[in-house]
Amino acid sequence: MNRLDRTLASLQHNKSKALVAYLVAGDPDLKTTIELMHGFVEAGVDIIELGIPFSDPIAEGVTIQDAHDRALKKGTTFLKALQLLKEFRSTDKDTPIILMGYSNTFMANHKVLESPQAKNIDGLIIVDLPGEISHKDLGIKNDQLHSITLMSPTTKATRKKAICRNASGFIYYINVRGVTGHSTLNFKEMANNIKEIKKSSNLPVFSGFGIKTKEDALKASASADGVVIGSHLVQMIEACSNQNNYKKIYNYLRAIAKAIK
Amino acid sequence: MNIKELPNAEGFFGAYGGKFVPETLMKALAELEEQYNKLKQNTAFQKQIDKDYADFVGRPSPLYFAERLTKKYKGPKIWLKREDLNHTGAHKINNTIGQIILAKKMGKKRIIAETGAGQHGVATATVAARLGLECHIYMGAEDVERQSLNVYRIKLLGASVHPVKSGTATLKDALNEAIRDWVTNVEDTYYIIGSVTGPHPYPMIVRDFNAVVGRELQEQSRKQFGKLPSAIVACVGGGSNAMGAFYPFLSNKRVDLYGIEADGRKREKAKHSATLTKGTPGILHGALSYLIQDSKGQVLPTHSISAGLDYPGVGPEHSYLKDIGRVKYFPVNDESVLEAFHEVSRLEGIIPALETAHAFAALPKIAKLYSTKDNIVVNVSGRGDKDIATVAKVEGLTLE
Repeated sequence: MNRLDRTLASLQHNKSKALVAYLVAGDPDLKTTIELMHGFVEAGVDIIELGIPFSDPIAEGVTIQDAHDRALKKGTTFLKALQLLKEFRSTDKDTPIILMGYSNTFMANHKVLESPQAKNIDGLIIVDLPGEISHKDLGIKNDQLHSITLMSPTTKATRKKAICRNASGFIYYINVRGVTGHSTLNFKEMANNIKEIKKSSNLPVFSGFGIKTKEDALKASASADGVVIGSHLVQMIEACSNQNNYKKIYNYLRAIAKAIK
Repeated sequence: MNIKELPNAEGFFGAYGGKFVPETLMKALAELEEQYNKLKQNTAFQKQIDKDYADFVGRPSPLYFAERLTKKYKGPKIWLKREDLNHTGAHKINNTIGQIILAKKMGKKRIIAETGAGQHGVATATVAARLGLECHIYMGAEDVERQSLNVYRIKLLGASVHPVKSGTATLKDALNEAIRDWVTNVEDTYYIIGSVTGPHPYPMIVRDFNAVVGRELQEQSRKQFGKLPSAIVACVGGGSNAMGAFYPFLSNKRVDLYGIEADGRKREKAKHSATLTKGTPGILHGALSYLIQDSKGQVLPTHSISAGLDYPGVGPEHSYLKDIGRVKYFPVNDESVLEAFHEVSRLEGIIPALETAHAFAALPKIAKLYSTKDNIVVNVSGRGDKDIATVAKVEGLTLE
């Protein structure tokens, strides 16, 4: 039982929807990443997805690709991201943190993920890992981490059950046929697919990709147990980083949290 | 286990391969595999491919005795498998001819592909034009610059070229962008991968379509010199021409196989494209294979004088063949490649592609190992017309 289990249990107990926020570690810099994470929590974010920058992020649209590039140029590494979490945990002991990234980076850093430093993390989302397998199949020996699996509008019914069996924590439903930041949301298809997934799993299902506005979040949370906001936040972070003032982002998140909860 | 029966059901060659892709693509890969396995058994499909190979590509490509090269190296007889004589000028068309039929059978309306040197882009645009399918080619902005002739050829064939500026603006980034397009348009789009790379079933499909080269070679060697070659030499970037030439010979250990990688400039040791010789296992573009990366798991920029080899990954089957020692891989540098480029042009009247020139540049080292009784085959994967501007520039000349 880790922080993610506790948060999910309490959300369920309160019949409340989850607000999940994504940002890239080291964009615009690691110090700001911590500041933003604390700000997110204060604004009502329940779970943080911390993007681990990769040189070749094939599932990302231009916005998040550029953020990965900026973070890498700043010298962000996996190890530095983990050190950042240690600092974050000195004041926040409860907010679940999920690392989101690509197989190659996780595989190359498997030793860190097996070390005591990994205690500050609650789960992994590995974007290019098929749902039937988990981080353990990549050689990462850590049973404490949830392996969050993704499902998409194109996931075949025959695979859904196997993926549900392998899932832990929550299931991440990809709203679109497309990369992150893609804008055409089909709420009806989303609702149907989430209903379908729930037949094979008792885990909460969160909806992500393409959610930008409060209205999007409200509509998505009608069928999903939570919503993930990614590209839009990353875009706002970039815009606000010039003035180094992120209040606008916190207000935006606060409004969404209020609307869906 | 018969080595030729790989990959296994999950798409692995030993430890390498697999399907490491965003979830959205899993269904498309499963459908492709199913359709391919069905068509493979279908004689009408095989007949159609054979007919296209003969009438459109101009197969079989000749096996040519390189008399003056043989004289120069004073050892084994050197033969050239002339893939440069194929329609569009390289082996790449062997694969696109097959995949476009798959695309059509699957009812896809839109074709996408990545390209490095532009040869695969040309070969894809060619078959798409022939079947009247919409075609989009992703190409690194740097490659668009250095392969302008092929860019224009692709456009003449009615396809669109999308320069990719992200990352290192070369082949790897073109692949990233093609995959992103595929994720977005997965329902109506067929992605023709150009090498034995990418997620399963692509490494298998691309190998199978290129294996026509090795099969012809078996027949031609018996006919022209009465036995199988002692060695086959091919350049390796992603590795499709090499895999096609090697595959039918994999279980015959008397045939030595050499894969030649791009070592980049002699003086700039940090940047090269010698994935199998100098890389470590990692995951890129859907497959677990050797990879040029740093210790933290970031893919490193590569360099090769030839755009077609300028790639940090390599086909998973090559990684397996390296580990089990069935194929020997070693790199040659840009300088020796240029030397070989000129040597083959002057001695044999054949201007090879810079990619192919890597295989020739390995001859001084390989020829020494064999006697006058041996026959060595170099797979001439493509012709060099597209590289003339690059070579001229390196040598300080400007062409109009």
